[in-house]
Amino acid sequence: MRDVARNPVALELLRVQRNRLADRLRPPWWYLTGSAIAWAVGFTGQFSLRYLPRVDYWGIGIASVAVWFLLQWGLTRATGIKVGPRPLRVLRDGLFYYRPGRPAAIAMFVVCLAVGEAQFLLLRHGLLAAAIAAAVLGVAAEVVLQQAWLREVRQALRDGGGAE
Amino acid sequence: MTARPDPFIHPITRLSICGLLAAGADWVEFAALRDAAEISDSVLSKQSVILEDAGYVEVRKGAVGRRPRTWFRLTAKGRQALEDHLAWLTQLEETVSASTRDTTQVTANPVNERTAPRTVPSTTD
Repeated sequence: MRDVARNPVALELLRVQRNRLADRLRPPWWYLTGSAIAWAVGFTGQFSLRYLPRVDYWGIGIASVAVWFLLQWGLTRATGIKVGPRPLRVLRDGLFYYRPGRPAAIAMFVVCLAVGEAQFLLLRHGLLAAAIAAAVLGVAAEVVLQQAWLREVRQALRDGGGAE
Repeated sequence: MTARPDPFIHPITRLSICGLLAAGADWVEFAALRDAAEISDSVLSKQSVILEDAGYVEVRKGAVGRRPRTWFRLTAKGRQALEDHLAWLTQLEETVSASTRDTTQVTANPVNERTAPRTVPSTTD
């Protein structure tokens, strides 16, 4: 076994290996497609409230969150790297403990609330087309943010910045 | 030097394993770790057992269908040990590069010593 004491290049080797690990965290095609579908389903909630009173609004929300967790589980299986949310850690340390990709995750949450609110106001004024456009833009923004989140996580893996 | 090498993390394979596990992921799967470190299955198995016995790595075994899956995570003790070891390695790297720089300067500019202006005691006083 090689001895790192005579080989300070070990740190450089570790950087290369971390790069290799980060490169594994590329989302498969179904991940972003599935995310887009999950967000699209989530953003139909406001329409169901107004036009389909029989469809449960909260049921839609829970279904899209469940799909999102399922996608995270699939991504973990496919890449061999678990970086998703840790509900137990949230309970222990609160929502705002350090995690790689947190800015993008917060932005996703804010966009989700903003789109929901915009849809609510637009539908109240009878602007159905505008509400649909808001939903489409929301889905696009969420998918872009999800990619940004993964990019941030990859960068953290490269830098070792995710280490707590 | 204040930082000290850790005997468990000192071999480069174990340093790789710990360094990869400390990069930010919660759990890393056997194949992902093996591919990133570019080591064989048997080496990873052997070294991970040593790290697990030392309390540096937590191992979780499961299966997807018939395929067994092993996941690794760095413990708090392992993370602390790695941080100390990396601090020591960084110090070592700095020391080595400083001594290399000095040696290079001496060998590259041997004339400079001869041509350098000498401090001659002033005679004007």
